[in-house]
Amino acid sequence: MTGVLAAGTNTDSVAVETVFWILAVVAVAAALAMILVRRAVHCAIMLAVVMLCLATMYAMQGAPFLAFVQIIVYTGAVLMLFLFVIMLIGITAADSIVETIKGQRLAAGLAAIGLLVLLALGIGHAAIGPAAPPSPKYGSGNLTGIATLIFTTYVFPFEVTGALLITAALGAMVLAHRERIAPRPTQRDLAARRLASGQVVGDPPPGIYALHDSADRPALLPDGSPAASSVSSVLNPRTGTEPPQVVRPGEKPQLEAADGGEREPAPSAGSGRAES
Amino acid sequence: MTGSAQALAAQATLSATGALKLSWLLLAFPLFGAAVLLLGGRRTDRWGHLLGVAMPVAAFVYGVIAFFTLLGESDRSRDLHLYSWIPVARFQVSVGLLTDQLSICFVLLITGVGSLIIIYSVGYLWHDADRRRFFGYMNLFVAAMLLLVLADNYLVLYVGWEGVGLASYLLIGFWQFKNSAAVAAKKAFVVNRVGDAGLSLAIMLMFAEFGTMSFTGVFRGVGSAGSGVTLALGLLLLLGACGKSAQVPLQSWLLDAMEGPTPVSALIHAATMVTAGVYLLVRSNPILALAPGARLAVAVVGTITLLVGGIIASAKDDIKKSLAGSTMSQIGYMTLGAGLGPAGYVFAIALLLSHGFYKAGLFLGAGSVMHGMNDEVNMRRYGGLSNVLPVTYVTFGLAYLAISGIPPFSGFFAKDPIIEADFGQHGAAGKVAGVCALIGAGITAFYMTRMMFMTWYGRRRWEEHAASGEPHETAEPLAGGSVQGAHGSAEEYHPHESPPVMTGPMVVLAIGSVGAGAFLIINHRLQKFLAPVVGAPPNTHGFFTAPGIAATALAVAGIALGWWIYGRVPVPATAPAGGPLTVAARKDLYGDALNESLLMRPGQWLTRLSVYFDNRDIDGLVNTIAAAVGGTSGRLRRMQTGFVRSYALSMLAGAAVLVALLLAVRL
Amino acid sequence: MTGTAAPAALAAHATLAASAPGAISAPPIEYSQLGPMLVVFGAAIVGVLVEAFAPRPARRGTQLALSLGGLAAAFVWTVVIAASRQVFANGSPGHTAIGGAVGVDRPTLFIQGTIVVLAFISVLLIGDTRFSPFVAQAAAPPGATAEQEGLAAGAMHTEIFPLTLFAVGGMMLFPAANDLLTMFVALEVLSLPLYLLCGLARRRRLLSHEAAMKYFLLGAFSSAFFLFGIAMLYGFSGSVSLAAIASTAASNTSNSTLLFAGIALTGLGLLFKIGAVPFHSWKPDVYQGAPTPVTALMASCTVVSAFGALLRVFYVAFGNLTWDWRPALWVIAVLTMVVGAVIAITQTDVKRLLAYSSIAHAGFVLTGVLAVSTAGLSSALFYLVAYGFTTVGAFAVITLVRDPGGEADHLSRWAGLGRRSPVVAGIFAFFLLAFAGIPLTSGFTGKFAVFQAAIASGETALVIVGVLSSAIAAFFYVRVIVLMFFSDPVPDGPEVVLPNVFSGTAVGVGAAVTLLLGIAPQPVLSLASHAANQLFVG
Repeated sequence: MTGVLAAGTNTDSVAVETVFWILAVVAVAAALAMILVRRAVHCAIMLAVVMLCLATMYAMQGAPFLAFVQIIVYTGAVLMLFLFVIMLIGITAADSIVETIKGQRLAAGLAAIGLLVLLALGIGHAAIGPAAPPSPKYGSGNLTGIATLIFTTYVFPFEVTGALLITAALGAMVLAHRERIAPRPTQRDLAARRLASGQVVGDPPPGIYALHDSADRPALLPDGSPAASSVSSVLNPRTGTEPPQVVRPGEKPQLEAADGGEREPAPSAGSGRAES
Repeated sequence: MTGSAQALAAQATLSATGALKLSWLLLAFPLFGAAVLLLGGRRTDRWGHLLGVAMPVAAFVYGVIAFFTLLGESDRSRDLHLYSWIPVARFQVSVGLLTDQLSICFVLLITGVGSLIIIYSVGYLWHDADRRRFFGYMNLFVAAMLLLVLADNYLVLYVGWEGVGLASYLLIGFWQFKNSAAVAAKKAFVVNRVGDAGLSLAIMLMFAEFGTMSFTGVFRGVGSAGSGVTLALGLLLLLGACGKSAQVPLQSWLLDAMEGPTPVSALIHAATMVTAGVYLLVRSNPILALAPGARLAVAVVGTITLLVGGIIASAKDDIKKSLAGSTMSQIGYMTLGAGLGPAGYVFAIALLLSHGFYKAGLFLGAGSVMHGMNDEVNMRRYGGLSNVLPVTYVTFGLAYLAISGIPPFSGFFAKDPIIEADFGQHGAAGKVAGVCALIGAGITAFYMTRMMFMTWYGRRRWEEHAASGEPHETAEPLAGGSVQGAHGSAEEYHPHESPPVMTGPMVVLAIGSVGAGAFLIINHRLQKFLAPVVGAPPNTHGFFTAPGIAATALAVAGIALGWWIYGRVPVPATAPAGGPLTVAARKDLYGDALNESLLMRPGQWLTRLSVYFDNRDIDGLVNTIAAAVGGTSGRLRRMQTGFVRSYALSMLAGAAVLVALLLAVRL
Repeated sequence: MTGTAAPAALAAHATLAASAPGAISAPPIEYSQLGPMLVVFGAAIVGVLVEAFAPRPARRGTQLALSLGGLAAAFVWTVVIAASRQVFANGSPGHTAIGGAVGVDRPTLFIQGTIVVLAFISVLLIGDTRFSPFVAQAAAPPGATAEQEGLAAGAMHTEIFPLTLFAVGGMMLFPAANDLLTMFVALEVLSLPLYLLCGLARRRRLLSHEAAMKYFLLGAFSSAFFLFGIAMLYGFSGSVSLAAIASTAASNTSNSTLLFAGIALTGLGLLFKIGAVPFHSWKPDVYQGAPTPVTALMASCTVVSAFGALLRVFYVAFGNLTWDWRPALWVIAVLTMVVGAVIAITQTDVKRLLAYSSIAHAGFVLTGVLAVSTAGLSSALFYLVAYGFTTVGAFAVITLVRDPGGEADHLSRWAGLGRRSPVVAGIFAFFLLAFAGIPLTSGFTGKFAVFQAAIASGETALVIVGVLSSAIAAFFYVRVIVLMFFSDPVPDGPEVVLPNVFSGTAVGVGAAVTLLLGIAPQPVLSLASHAANQLFVG
C-alpha cells in the first residue's frame, strides 16, 4: 500500500506517509459517518470531508490539477448545491429506520464482512509493485497527461459522457417540470370568470371579533345569521355566538360563564370585516 | 429378403426436375387456404367455402400432373430438397419432399377423395354458422396429411403426423358445445399420444443409431444394424401405426371420433388419416424386411383388429359407429398385408386405395341419410328408405357390394390377394391369419348386409317411431340444417334426397368403388408401379384360387345370414337383449373398460394428486404440478420480498460468493 | 479514414511518447465505422432540440419519424460495415476504432444490428399512443388534478423518444466497448434513460415509481461493484483495455488474486444487467412496474446488449482464464436456469411471469457462453436474436389485452381468452411455445444450438440441468396456454383491442421471426456462425 508513495523523495517520504495514514483514517471514518448519520445535512458535510481528503491525496500523488478540480467541482460546486437543496427544502430525518425484515441486518453484516474479508485477502495477497513513475511521455505536467488521454485514447467515452449529461437534464425536466396544459389565465380571464359567476367581490373573511377572532368563526350577515362562505371549506365553522370557554388552571368551567359576562359584547357584523 | 432391402435402399433418389420441382405447391395450396380461412375471420365467411374447395382441387390438379410426369420418367423417385433445418454440427436435417410411386398414390387419394368430400361438405354444412372454420381445418388437415406422405425423412413425417392429429382433434371437437364431442376429441388426442410416443422413440433411436433421419440414410444404415435395433424399430413403428390407424390395443378412440361431422369421419377417419399407420409401415419396409419378429407382430395386430372391428360393426345400431368398426376391420386387413412383407405391401396399398373410395362413399351415404332424417343415427329407426333417397341408395349399394368382396367390385380384387398371400406364407402363422381373414370376409359381408337391410329395406320404422312420439337420438345437432333436431323433440321425419352438391361426390366415389380394385390389380398395374419402392411379391396369384373362391363363398354366406336375420323378418325398433357376444360388441368389446383400468385410472389418480397440490396453492390458477417444485417455488418466491434492501442483500451475498468462488481457484 | 488501423491503447501511448512533449496529435476517428452509434446518438440529440423548438402538436410525429428513421439508418449502416471489405480485409477479424476504445468486429456488428432492429419494434410500441401506457404528466403526483387534466388533454411526454434513443445508443456501445472505461460509460448511458422510462407508467403509477427507484438503486449498487472490479483489474494490469488485461493475465501470474477479484466484480456488474441469479431480484419488480413497451425494450435490447458485453469481456479479456472463471459462471448459470424456472411457476402476473422466464432464458444463453468456443458464441448470438423477437412480440400482445383500468396483467383475467379472441390468444400461445422451446419455433432451434455447443465443450451436466429446467419452464408456459384455451372465460373479461399498424407490426414481426427461425433457421444460424467465426477483436 505504501508503494504508491514512492513518487516522493526519500526525505519527504515519512511526512507524506504520515499524512496519508491520517487522511486515510479520516476519509474512511467520514465515509462511514456519511451513511450512518441521520441528518441529511450532516451527511452532505461528511461527503465533503471525504472529497477533501481525496483531493489532498491527489495532490500528494503529484496531480495538482486533479486535486483542484476535485475541490472546485465536487466539494465547491456539487456538494454545495446539495447542501443548498437540502436546506431549502428542509429534508429531515423523517424516515423510519426500524428494520422490519427479520435477520436483514445480521445477514447484511455477515455478507459485508465476508466480502470485505475476501477482498482484503485478495488485495493483501497481491504484491503491488511500485507504480510507474509519472511518465515523461505526457509532457511536463499531469495536466497534459490528462488532456492527452481525454483527447486521444478516451475521446469516445469522453464524448459519450455528453449523452449521459443530456439524459440527466432531460430526465430532470421530465420528472420535475410540469408543463402547463391550458394557457395561463390572464387577469382579464379571471375578471370575466368572476363576473360570470355572479359573485363580484370575493368571499367574506371570517368574523374577527374582540372575543373570538378565530378563522373558524363565520362572519355574520346583516341579519345576524352566519355567512358559511366566509369560513374555509377545510374548517368546521363554529356557529355558536357564545364566547369560547377559557379554562384557567384551578377554575371550573361553569365559573367562566360569569367571567365572560364582564367582557365586551360581541361587536356587530360590520366591524369584523377586514379591509381587503 | 435382406438383399432386396439393400437394393431398395440403394435406389438412387434423384433431385426433382421439371413439374416435380414444384411439389411444394401441393402443400402451399391447402396451407394457404387454411391460413386465409382461419386468420381471415368473419370477413371470409361469405366466400370461405369456395376457397376451401378450390385449394384441395388445385392440389389435386397438380397431383395429377405430377403423376403423369412421374409415369413418363424412367426412374421414378424425385426428391425436392427444400432447405436444411438446423444444420448444427452433426445434426443435419434437411427438409425435403419425396415424390415417388408410393407418395404419389397417397397424394392422389388425399387430394382426390379429399376434394370430393370437401365439395360434399358444402352442402352438408350449408346452415352451420361456423362453416368457414370447418373448411379451414379441412384444408389444414389436407396440408398436414400431404406433408406426412411427402416427407423424405422421419422427422418431417412426424411433423405431418402430429399435424393430422391436431386437425383430427380440432375436427372431432368441431361441435364443441356438445360435451360428447369435446370428450371424444380429448380421447382421440390422448390415445394418439401413446402411439406418437412410439413413433418419436423410433425416430430418436434412428438418430442415435444411424445419425440421420432421412429415409435413404436410415434404410442404408439399417442393413448393418443389429437385430435388436431393427426389432425395436419395427415394434416402435408398429406402436405408432396402432395409434394412428386405430389398431388393437389403441383402437378405442375411433368409435368415439364419430362425434365429428360426417364428412370428417369420411375423410379423416375412413379414407386417409387412419391409413397413415399403414403408410408408415409400408414406407418403412426395409426396416420390417430385417425384423421378422416385428413383421409377425404387425400381422398379429392386423388379424386381431380385423376380427374385433368386424364383431363390433355387427352389433352397433349407430350407423356411423358400425361403419367405424368396419373401418377398423378393413385397416386390419391392410396391416395384415403390410405384415406379410413384400408379398403383401402392394395389396395393402391397393386395398387402402379402393377402401378410400368405398368407405368414403359409405360414410357420405350415411351422412346423406342423416341429412334427410334429422340427424338420426340409429339404424333401427331407418328402414324402407330406398325409394325416398334413390341416388344415395344406389351409390351406397355399390359401395356395399365393393366392401363385401363380391366380384367384380373393388373389394374383391383388393382384399382377396391379401387372404391368398396369407396362405402363401410359410408356417402355421400364415395359415391361421388366412383363416381369420376368411372369417373376417364373412363377417364383413354380414354386417354390411345388416346395415343395408336395416337402412334401405323393410318397414318404414321412422314413420312408426314418429307416431309413437318418443324423442330420437341425435348425433349432429346442426348438420344439414336440421336445427330443430337439436332439441330432440318427437317431430316427424321428412326423409328427402340430398342436393346435387352432395350426391355428385357420392356418384363419383361409387364409380371408384366399382372400378378401382379391378383397375389397380388386373395386369398388375399397381404392382409394377410400386415395385421400385416396396418390391414385387414373390409369386403372383390368379383370381379364382381356392382362398379366393372360399372368400367369395363366405361373403355370400355372410350376406345370406344377414338376410336371414334382418331381411326375412322385420327388424325390431328397439334392440333385443342379445347374447353375450352381442352385448360385448355393443360395448366395443370392452375396449374402453380395458383402457380405463389400465390407463385412465392411474392417470386420474395422478391428475387428482396434482389437482390436490394445485388447490393447496395460492389461487389455483397457474400453480404447480408437483409439491416439490411448487413448494420450492413458493419458498423462493418469498425471498422476493419487494424490499430493495433485501434485494441489495442478495446481491451483496452473491458478490461475496462469486468472489469466493473465483478466489478459491487460486488461493 | 478507415484505412489506417488505429493502434491499441498502449501502442498509442508509445507513438505519442515519440512526438514532442506537450504536443497532442489527434487520433484518427473512424467516423464511418462508428456511424451506427453516431446516427443513433445524433438522432437523440436532434430529438432533444425538437423538444425545445417544435410546437407541441408536431412533436410526436416528428419524434417518431426521427427515432424510426435513425434506427433504420443505423441498421443499414451496420449492414454496410459488416459487408465492408475494408474493415475485414484479408480475413482480418475486425478493427479497433477511435484510439482502441471501440471494437468493430463481426460479433459486435451482429449484436448491434439485432439491438437496432429490436429497438425499432420497441419504438413502434412506444409510439402507439392509442392506449398510451405512458404518463401524461410525470411531475404531477399520482391522482392529482394536474394528472387528470393532462390525461384529459391527451398530453404526452415526447421526451420518451430521445431517452429511448440514448438508451439504445448506450446499448450499442456496451458490447462494442473495448476498454472497461468505455464500457462503464456505456453502461451508464444505457441505464440512466431506462431508470427514467421505468417510472413513467400511466397506470399504477406508484408501482411504476417503485420499480424505477428499485432499478436505480440496485443499478447504482451493481455499477459500484463494476467500478470496483475495474479498479482491481487496473491495479493488476495497469490498463483498462481488454487486450492489455488479457496479455497481462497471460504473462503475469503473481498478482492473480487481484485479477480474480476483478473478474468477479466486473462480472457481477454484467450479470446484474442480464438478470442472472442471485443478481436477478430487480427484474420481476421492474418488468412489472415499467410501461409495457419499456419492458419490451429492456427484455429484448438490454439483454442482448448486456450479453454482448459479457461475451466480449469474458472472451477477450479473460479468454485465457477459461478454467478459472468457468466454475463460478457454471454455478451462476445453473442457479439462473433453475431459480428462474421454478419461481415462475407460482407467478400470477403475466409480466412477472415473463420476467422470470427472461431470467431462465438468461441462464440458457449462459450455457452457450460457457461453451467458450465459436460454436458457443454463435449459438448464444442466435439464441439472443430468437429470444429478443419472441419477447418483443409477447409483450406487444400484452399491450392488446386490456381491462378498463389498463392492461389485464393478472393471469386470472386471461382465462378463456382463447374462446373470446382465438387469434390473439393463439399468437400468444405460439410465443409461449417458443419460450418453452417446442420444435418448429425459434426457441427450439436456439436451445438446441446452445445445448449442442455446450455438449461439444464437455458441459454435459450443465445441459442436463438446462433440459430439466426447460421442462419445468415448459410446464408453466403450457399452463398458461391451458388457462387461455381450456378454462371458461371470466365474466366481463378483458377486452382484446384490435392491433393497429404499430402494435400489429410488432406482434406480426415477432411471430413471423419466431416461426421463421423455427422452420428455416438456416440463414440466421449461418449468419451467426459467420459472425462468430472470428471472435471479438482485442
